[in-house]
Amino acid sequence: MFSIHARQVLSRAILPVLILLAVGLVLLGQVRRPVVESVRLVAADMLAPAYHALVVPQEHVIAWMTDLRGATDLARENARLRDENRGLRHWYDVAVALAAENGRLKNSLHWIPEAVPQYVTGRVTRDDGGPYSRAVLLDVGSGHQVRAGDVALDAAGLLGRVTEIGPHTVRVLLISDDASRIPVTLAVSHADAIMAGDDTVNPRLLFYPQDHHPVEGERVETRGQNEMPGGLPVGTVHYLAPGRPVVLPDADLGRLDIVRVFDYGDEGATAPDAPGRVRVKKLPDIAVPSGLHLPELLGSGAGTVPALGSGQE
Amino acid sequence: MVAEKSTPHLHSAVEPNPTLKRRLDALVRAAMPSLFIIICTVLLSAPFGLPGQEELQFGLAVSTVWFWAANRPRSMPAIAVFFCGLVLEIFSSGPPGAVLFWLLVTYGVASNWRYGLSQIGFVAGWLIFAALALTGSFFEWALVCLHAFALLSPVPSLFQAALTVGIYPSLSALFVWGRRTFANPDQA
Repeated sequence: MFSIHARQVLSRAILPVLILLAVGLVLLGQVRRPVVESVRLVAADMLAPAYHALVVPQEHVIAWMTDLRGATDLARENARLRDENRGLRHWYDVAVALAAENGRLKNSLHWIPEAVPQYVTGRVTRDDGGPYSRAVLLDVGSGHQVRAGDVALDAAGLLGRVTEIGPHTVRVLLISDDASRIPVTLAVSHADAIMAGDDTVNPRLLFYPQDHHPVEGERVETRGQNEMPGGLPVGTVHYLAPGRPVVLPDADLGRLDIVRVFDYGDEGATAPDAPGRVRVKKLPDIAVPSGLHLPELLGSGAGTVPALGSGQE
Repeated sequence: MVAEKSTPHLHSAVEPNPTLKRRLDALVRAAMPSLFIIICTVLLSAPFGLPGQEELQFGLAVSTVWFWAANRPRSMPAIAVFFCGLVLEIFSSGPPGAVLFWLLVTYGVASNWRYGLSQIGFVAGWLIFAALALTGSFFEWALVCLHAFALLSPVPSLFQAALTVGIYPSLSALFVWGRRTFANPDQA
């Protein structure tokens, strides 16, 4: 169809053209990142069943290995479990007593019960992380009601928040991601801080009061702010170096499988508009006869308005 | 240009009939490098929980493009590199376009320096590849920093580059064998 010369020209020109297209994609990624992310999410949606099928053999092998390891050391495992069971019975009794006491106290205080959050459970279909991001994709099925900003938890604690929504799949930005900032409260010192991810497994604690330094080993919980509910378990404080507190997450961020996404709705603590910062509503154009006082129109204050609108005398 | 190392015994005067099966076989063999990149990319995007999965995606793709562009560009044309790069972009989570761009740059360098690369030894070629992998990883790092508007740690990029450089000898051994056997269209 083409002459040899035309073919040579085409073959020489194709690489620069493709490089230009790639540069265009780079620029698109810098300017309109959500467009690219939505394409990636659709692809992950389509491959979710295949991903599940791929990891099934691995899960079976891990289960067999765990069983095998347990079978080779039954006596010691039994002793350990007996000890653990004894400790857990003690804590069960303590928990029952505390729950009863808590119920009585709430009754006497006429405590308004908090709304039970809706949640959906999903399996991690793909680790969406890379050298510079920590995120996972969850298969939550079709017809889900998950919204961006919902909170994701595993069996032990906070994992992260939902950032992108697909038809079957949602993307959860983990607390260890560099872009993650979670307001937290320290249980012992009662100080507030910001937990900031830095792409390592242990997010840092920032912006804590200088007279309330985090205490090694104290519990870290979420602080109720905006759509983030308060009191969710996050982890414990640990000092990697003096003056560098980090959080050891309760959630196993390295190996995620089943994750629950909670929708707390608008139950988060949102402060009302502060006095003096309420946006002043623009007065509508109304016909005011010349010389009429504004208080007569608005009902308070003082002052004379010559003319607010295009009134007729 | 360098003459490709084909299999002379198959270029006899009597060529086998180009049946449909034989053509398909030759096509699959020629597409083997691209298929290798695509299959590895999709497999490594599954949640196996292996350390360095994402970095390995980059490493495998760059190594494959470098080897085949330098040794048999017919099996790795520019359009195939572009398509593989697009698949890699969809199934990875790095800055969009970075890997695709760097695969094309790697392809351009390898295919234009084929003569020179065939003259120098494996170690020298490996060093040039290492420089390319390192530059590509830093390019990705620079894009991430630009997007985040912050100076992030370059250590993950260094790890990615080290992994890419580290797996290249094993991969090239596999590809040298594949070039003579399962990825050789002349044997179809």
